[in-house]
Amino acid sequence: MFEFFNEDQKMLRSVVRELVEKEVAPHAAKWDEEDKCPVELFKVFGEQGLLGIFVSPEYGGAGLGLTERAIVLEEVARYSAGFSIALMTHDLCTAAIYNHGTEEQKKAWLPKLCTAEVIGGLSVTEPTGGSDLTNQATTIEANENGYVLNGRKVFITNSHIADLNIWTGTSGVNAKGRKELSAVLIPPGTPGLSAGRKENKLGLRGSVTGDTIAKDVQLSADAIVGKEGKGAGLALHTIGHFGRSGMSAIATGILRGCVEEAVKFGNERLIYGKPLTKIPAMQAIIAENQIAFEAASAMLYNATAIYDRGEDAIARLAAVKYFTTEEAVSSARRTMDLMGGYGVINEYPVGRFLRDALANIPSGGTSQIMKVIVAGNVLR
Amino acid sequence: MDISAYKGIHVFCEISKGNIIENSLELLGEATVLKSKIAHTPEVTAVVIGYALDQYTDLLAEHGADRIVLIDDKKYQDYRPDFYAEALAQTAKKYLPEILLVGATLKGEEIGPTTAMMLHTGMAAHCVELNIREDGQFVQVVPAFGGKVLGDILCPNFRPQMASMKAGLSSKVTFKGKEAVVESFSPDVKGFGDKIEIVEVIEETKEKITLGGAELVITGGFGIGTQEGWYKLEQLATKLGGVTGCTRPALDEGWTEHDETMIGTSGVAIKPKVYLGFGISGAAHHTCGIKTAGTIISVNKDPNAPIFDVSDYKVVGDWEKIVEALIQVL
Amino acid sequence: MSLSIAVCVKPVPDSDHYDKITIDPKTKRVNRDGIPTIINTMDKNAIEAALKLKEEHGGKVTVFTMAPDSAVENLRRVLAMGVDEAFLCSDRALGGADTWATSYTLYKAIAKAGAYDIVILGNETEDGGTAQVPSQLGEWMAIPHMTNVLSMAYDGEHKMTISRKTDEGSIKYRVALPAVFSVVRETNEPRIPNVMGILKAKSKPLTIFRAEDLDVNPEFIGLKGSPTQPGDIFSPDMSRKSEVISGEPEEIAVKIIAEIKKTGYVIG
Repeated sequence: MFEFFNEDQKMLRSVVRELVEKEVAPHAAKWDEEDKCPVELFKVFGEQGLLGIFVSPEYGGAGLGLTERAIVLEEVARYSAGFSIALMTHDLCTAAIYNHGTEEQKKAWLPKLCTAEVIGGLSVTEPTGGSDLTNQATTIEANENGYVLNGRKVFITNSHIADLNIWTGTSGVNAKGRKELSAVLIPPGTPGLSAGRKENKLGLRGSVTGDTIAKDVQLSADAIVGKEGKGAGLALHTIGHFGRSGMSAIATGILRGCVEEAVKFGNERLIYGKPLTKIPAMQAIIAENQIAFEAASAMLYNATAIYDRGEDAIARLAAVKYFTTEEAVSSARRTMDLMGGYGVINEYPVGRFLRDALANIPSGGTSQIMKVIVAGNVLR
Repeated sequence: MDISAYKGIHVFCEISKGNIIENSLELLGEATVLKSKIAHTPEVTAVVIGYALDQYTDLLAEHGADRIVLIDDKKYQDYRPDFYAEALAQTAKKYLPEILLVGATLKGEEIGPTTAMMLHTGMAAHCVELNIREDGQFVQVVPAFGGKVLGDILCPNFRPQMASMKAGLSSKVTFKGKEAVVESFSPDVKGFGDKIEIVEVIEETKEKITLGGAELVITGGFGIGTQEGWYKLEQLATKLGGVTGCTRPALDEGWTEHDETMIGTSGVAIKPKVYLGFGISGAAHHTCGIKTAGTIISVNKDPNAPIFDVSDYKVVGDWEKIVEALIQVL
Repeated sequence: MSLSIAVCVKPVPDSDHYDKITIDPKTKRVNRDGIPTIINTMDKNAIEAALKLKEEHGGKVTVFTMAPDSAVENLRRVLAMGVDEAFLCSDRALGGADTWATSYTLYKAIAKAGAYDIVILGNETEDGGTAQVPSQLGEWMAIPHMTNVLSMAYDGEHKMTISRKTDEGSIKYRVALPAVFSVVRETNEPRIPNVMGILKAKSKPLTIFRAEDLDVNPEFIGLKGSPTQPGDIFSPDMSRKSEVISGEPEEIAVKIIAEIKKTGYVIG
């Protein structure tokens, strides 16, 4: 795995691992089976300073970076990718406000997001398509009191638990006649905002995903996050950095889980009188898992380090997201092969790893879109 | 310190709920064994600290004490570690034993090292074995790293050589009709004076044990066959003072409802001193939960059952007959 | 009145890696290379007890350990929990110490570092498990000491009311400070460091004492100063032997019971 962590990052990882082994690992299977998001744990992570870890101290964060946030999500995902994506989504709301919000918005909401006094959500994807970002039907219309929001979003994580929501929607057209997006902040308890249908997902259970509906949601004039008309930029920056590094961290956590479970099972399971790990074909599987994990870790933390030193990392993170999420699926599948019949028994976590890895792929942009971004950057 | 002046084996005999504890009687037995292996056949002395102690002398003599020293005073009625340790140390200073044994109980663990400090001597704790080497040297065997390593400890230059042992590691020896010399001793014990005050002594009844902390676990697998069979296992567990764990088949069959006691990958991993498995085949997902158990004894009628590869003791037979026999014998 | 609290900790090999421990047959020493060390679990309960007292009454928590230089990493983790200062006694001359010599060294380090109202330790360590150091440290310091402490309450005026475990239940004592207490796992739930704690840890004072920094009698430290001396070490055979127990059910039952007793388990 990536070796160039500093002392604080190493201690952070070991501390988060201790917390995860205590609060997450024992319940991960249950959350998956019951499709339950452990909302009460947000506060525990908040108290430990693990939410909004990239937010500067004046707003209640630890003043660290994307790297530290990825470490947290990776450690959680080793046991519960579902809960990890719930935390990740909360962070998206935090990141959007931190990177694009007004001073008033930051002061009002960042401290509360960091402690999980409010849980955050980010609603971008519409029924017309997630990939087709700017083609949104949601409208943000100015009126005498501010703005009115109307629309419906789909595949939104934290749909039923978020207190503080950020929505993107069309706020006008630009000079070329193309739709312009804006992002708005919807404070907790604002009338007209509700969660609709709850999706029954194949994987990443342990997070709640569903529709969010805005019907005549009246917002004040200062509800715009960032600048009016700049909503697409906010969405792309937030999802491009914080979303995709998050999903990559989750995939890396799953990859590590596959490495460890394959070794554990391989050492214990006796066949032809010896442990499985003595068989070359099984060793090949273990090697492939290890290689995938090493590559994912190095690629992810290289990219987060680049962002943390102040550079744009969207194309890089698209490549990382593509690679790590696809590898997680392959790794989980081959770990199941190693386990033979036991691989399809739900008492073991590996089936869940596969389902979580699959569900992770269309999040934040499909693998096909990731390639479009990477090629687009290379061919510029 | 003139080593040769120290002769005799002292055993601190602890009282709990009005009785001399089994651990102390076992240590007396151990002392008699050591006595027989030491060239000068040292005297075995039981040292008792407490209040109204005459009632114990017959019992102690019968269990091997040649001499009984009673430190009998109201000040020892309730436990103060400083008083007990000092009284034991004063006794050693008076009688100069070469070996002093203490039970590794919660009190013993405290009294022992304190006394050792007062006597400027060494103590080996939680010994699993005590031996006399061919050269006459007293050897204490202690475990480390959860029992992965065993080591010999010697105390060549200081006396008394102190050691503690937990209950169940040595055996009582009875000497019917044996008599002992009984002496009263009233050392001047000050301890920490009024710096320690006893406020309240609370006696509690034993609490329920959960699987995680249980020292003896019995588990049944598919081979148990019936609910009635399962109840027999639970009966045996009660007799042994252990806890019943289960495997998935037992849960699926509905013989037990306690899914928190399922042992295996998705259940609990346990580290009991003793694991007894009946009718368990030994599927990987179960056996990984018992890998670090102390001693594993398995009973199964299939001589090739995988469970035997990970067991210390293998019994090929009808589990029900064995369980019934165990219940009988206990 | 605020409290000056000392906590003694020990880095021990991580028990998850015990099966990697080997014994060098020539030197008879245990080979712990490559096995990560962590702070002994009960010592974390001791640190937690100290931090709770500090939170309630004000004061300072200082940690002491006798260990090799590599323990600096473990001490940073302890500082991240909220401890204010750490002292590491590290010197070849201190190596091989039994509990007598260890408690002596800790006593001298504590005396050198300052005056403390309370010294808290974990009852026993995972690797040696003698449970002797707390009592022996108390004796060296010539102050009241108590093990198996379940709860501690400070009255604000130099006395603590403590409840300690016995095999019969528990006993409550009032103890005048300064005093030494050792705690067990049931005493509390040790906190996990938070991010702010991690970031502050590296700037907190961590001092290394060598043997010459402490006012120690060289006859009382290390292997040389230990009344107990190690002899032979051996590793009991790890692979399960699958020894057959046979006979009639009654005979088998008797043999099984004998094996149960051998493990040290007390029946009933």
